[in-house]
Amino acid sequence: MSKTYLNGKAIDGFHEVHEHVSPISLYNKIIAVLFVLTGLTYAVSFADLGAASLTVAMFVATIKAALVIGYFMHLKYDDRYHLFVFAGTLIFVSIFFGFTMFDLQARTALNDEQETFMRIRELESSGAGPKLGVDNVPERAEKIRQEIEAHGGGHGGGHDAGHGDAKAAAPTPAAGTAPAKPAEHAPGH
Amino acid sequence: MSTTAHAHAHGHGDDEHNPFLAHHFDTMGQQAGAAKLGMWLFLATEILMFSGLFLAYFITRLFYPEMVLEAHEQLSKIHGGVNTIVLLTSSYTMALAVRSAQTSNTAGIKRYILMTMACGGIFMVVKYFEYSAKFEHGLLPGRYYSAHLHGLHIDGLPHIFYAVYFMMTGLHGIHVMVGLGVMAWIYVRANRGDFSATNYAAVENTGLYWHLVDLVWIFLFPLLYLVK
Repeated sequence: MSKTYLNGKAIDGFHEVHEHVSPISLYNKIIAVLFVLTGLTYAVSFADLGAASLTVAMFVATIKAALVIGYFMHLKYDDRYHLFVFAGTLIFVSIFFGFTMFDLQARTALNDEQETFMRIRELESSGAGPKLGVDNVPERAEKIRQEIEAHGGGHGGGHDAGHGDAKAAAPTPAAGTAPAKPAEHAPGH
Repeated sequence: MSTTAHAHAHGHGDDEHNPFLAHHFDTMGQQAGAAKLGMWLFLATEILMFSGLFLAYFITRLFYPEMVLEAHEQLSKIHGGVNTIVLLTSSYTMALAVRSAQTSNTAGIKRYILMTMACGGIFMVVKYFEYSAKFEHGLLPGRYYSAHLHGLHIDGLPHIFYAVYFMMTGLHGIHVMVGLGVMAWIYVRANRGDFSATNYAAVENTGLYWHLVDLVWIFLFPLLYLVK
């Protein structure tokens, strides 16, 4: 290792990279594990795990991310200071997520406790006030209904019957061309 | 300071004459260390930028679980899955490109960079078909959402979900395209013979950036396409 001098004195611990060269076999192993974990996430998504599915998916994704960061990005062998920068970022992200979630979870309880929005709630419970939540606003539902009618109804037939899975990947020709000029099509439907 | 350093740095004659050593650094290792630290700081800002979008996703999901579930069924697991495999492969070839640079193997850098670029290109082509299908079905963000005119009714606020979907995958796609541009530049420089075991910080930093793009997708894929 070379030495660096500052004002004529040798200094230690300055940032100099002496890279660790990983063998190709290590990269092969890592990519194999990443493929297996991807397959696992994919397979698990078809099983009905309920609320646990998010936890499982995030757990597997975190393992995959750790492998990429540790071995492909060399953070395992790298200057510890880079790990500090990365871990510091994660700390700030968790503060960002954590405090936002605290706010969202605690908001209803706090509103009740401090009697914020009491008037809206009273009106709401008496059936007179505006409903909270944009989708429940009657005007919006009405607007959507009118849009559908002006369009001459939704594209009927098989299109709205089984819109579940493969439809997005393989659009029917009718669905592909119609939305461009809805007005002309309206009477035909 | 510089003259003192040079007077003492006899062990590293290579550094003194390396044409890629900027005058304000003493050794190539120090220069690479500074470059890498800068790259990690940049990656930190990238992670923070994407974290805002991830938070938007989680909030939407928290407030409208049924809507997110129904809307995400419209996304193509096949397209997402293929792109995951493609992007993981590209990360692997990128890591091998950096390794080639570490071992002064210029032909290896060029080969693996081209393979990585090919994977990035495939990713964007798949993305094109995926987006086209969404456009045709009116599965668009915000006020452009018109799936209800195509016979698909999703209760709740699906236009918000598709806003999150397009912002996340769109910003990610932009990163892929930027990565392709940077890799083209790396290829040209490798072709010129710029890189060796003592000077490969540019290859390494491009690799770090590309792996970050991969990392974002590792979380995007299960969250948007798979999770129930």
